[in-house]
Amino acid sequence: MSALSDYRRREESITMSSEPVGMGETHELLTLNIGPHHPATHGVLRLIATLEGEVVRDIKPIIGYVHTGIEKTAEQKSYWKAIPVVERMDYLSYYFNAMAYCGAVETLLGIEVPPRAQYLRIIHLELNRIMSHLVWLGTSALDLGAMSMFWYCFRERETILDLFEMSSGQRMHTRYFQVGGVIEDIPAGFARNVQRFIDEMPSRADQYADLLEKNEILLSRLRDTCVLDEQTLLGWGVTGPLLRAAGNPWDLRKAAPYSSYDHFDFRIPVGTVGDNYDRFRVRHAELYESTKIIQQALNGLPEGPHIVEDRKVALPPRHELATSMESLIHHFKLVTEGFRVPEGECYYPIESPRGELGCFVRADGSAKPARVHMRDPSFVNLQATAPMVKDAYIADLIATLAMVDPVLGGVDR
Amino acid sequence: MPYDPGKDVVEVMRHPPRSAAASTYRIFGETLRGMKTTLARVVEGPLTIQYPEEKTPVYPRFRGRHKLHRFETGDPDNPGLEKCVGCSLCAAACPADCIRVVAAENTPEHRVSAGERYAAVYEINLSRCIFCGYCEVACPFDAITMGHDYEMSDYTRSDLIFTKEMLLAEPLERTPLRTAAE
Repeated sequence: MSALSDYRRREESITMSSEPVGMGETHELLTLNIGPHHPATHGVLRLIATLEGEVVRDIKPIIGYVHTGIEKTAEQKSYWKAIPVVERMDYLSYYFNAMAYCGAVETLLGIEVPPRAQYLRIIHLELNRIMSHLVWLGTSALDLGAMSMFWYCFRERETILDLFEMSSGQRMHTRYFQVGGVIEDIPAGFARNVQRFIDEMPSRADQYADLLEKNEILLSRLRDTCVLDEQTLLGWGVTGPLLRAAGNPWDLRKAAPYSSYDHFDFRIPVGTVGDNYDRFRVRHAELYESTKIIQQALNGLPEGPHIVEDRKVALPPRHELATSMESLIHHFKLVTEGFRVPEGECYYPIESPRGELGCFVRADGSAKPARVHMRDPSFVNLQATAPMVKDAYIADLIATLAMVDPVLGGVDR
Repeated sequence: MPYDPGKDVVEVMRHPPRSAAASTYRIFGETLRGMKTTLARVVEGPLTIQYPEEKTPVYPRFRGRHKLHRFETGDPDNPGLEKCVGCSLCAAACPADCIRVVAAENTPEHRVSAGERYAAVYEINLSRCIFCGYCEVACPFDAITMGHDYEMSDYTRSDLIFTKEMLLAEPLERTPLRTAAE
């Protein structure tokens, strides 16, 4: 008997049924600790995996290693000072965190964001979505052994971060979005640089596809592994690309358009089966759709103010500080105390790169929020990892965790 | 209202069919196609920067280490008055609470700033600073701005508490700025 067929025989002898496994001479369960410091967990996630041979019978994610108490911290800050704080939760989608928070506060205040600000927000949100997917693609491909993908993805990510630095002054955690609009208009040359990037991006995404989509190693690792059907996913509250990979076209940008998303023509990539390959293809296809949205937003960018004119909410323009006493008083009032938000509560969901990111803000009439809560998609999606990887190989556990794309800063908050 | 995206939904491609022949082809053919993709990138040239020798230029809006400003006199022996009047608005705006300002009254014999008061103590704890730039936004006199320095690591935490003298001093010209054409 050759070595290979012996391996096959042993492989086939492993029962893949989900019945409880008896403890005996032949069956022995191994509890394996993965993480929290392990590159394949994409952050400080600890997994307690129960293995039978090579097959995962159960995993238990243990979280909380990067808990920062941001929700509580935001209660101590006035509304505008909480923006840079909440941005730091999900560190790959900071524009989305700020958008969810600002959107909730704007709804409570009942203010209408100017169209130019909405379009500028969309340009930055979609650039951020591409950036987040590139980090996901690069690190996931690295887990599966494709080293050069990591460099290629981070090369394009670098271009996006440069664009963020150009418009807002910081590469990450930009606090560009403010309640009522964006803090500054885009600088001269920004539109041209974005145009150059979105002209290049589809061909780059084609190159990623050339490298990965039919690669035999990637196919064997991803196809038909860790399938979870739509109903189970819905039962776990999973949203975003994971749900869309199972065939449910739920996308809040279409289902409940916010910030002028209904002005744009884009499509929702969905999968059919819901295996890891579909998850990979859905996110990869979203790179193209985001590029299309940015192109439309850039072409149709309306003129006008970049933040609301309401002096009770938005800071007055800087040139007025030297000439107008009233503006100076507003400026002092807004910076020291901040604006007051009428009593009420609001849940504002948006479609982040990982799914439904909702921000719940409760206002008690003062200048500080009484409660800020984020429904972070990584946290909810992480729950579905255990049913996904049950009775799969441990190698598939790593691939699945990469495809779930949890960001631990968002999970722990 | 039921949600029906209709024709906006596009199904992604499924994986190629499983078969021994196709699999064997892919092991060679697709691997070679992947090699073609990577080798074609060679002509694009390297993008890496030899960091300590070469430095990435920053954009004009980049928010690096803070700077305090004086009114320009052009005379190095007689530096101008400080712009900061010790109003503590930057400290009020700071989400990380890393700015400490203690104001004192200007007297005719000892005039430090252009206003009634001046900052007797002005400290920024850079180990707490999150570089959000709200201090710059808050300052009504453009006395504090975010500079372009990004190399701020040090060996002890106490060295990262920058005093007024350190913030007023001209920073070493270390960070190149991008030109408008870039």
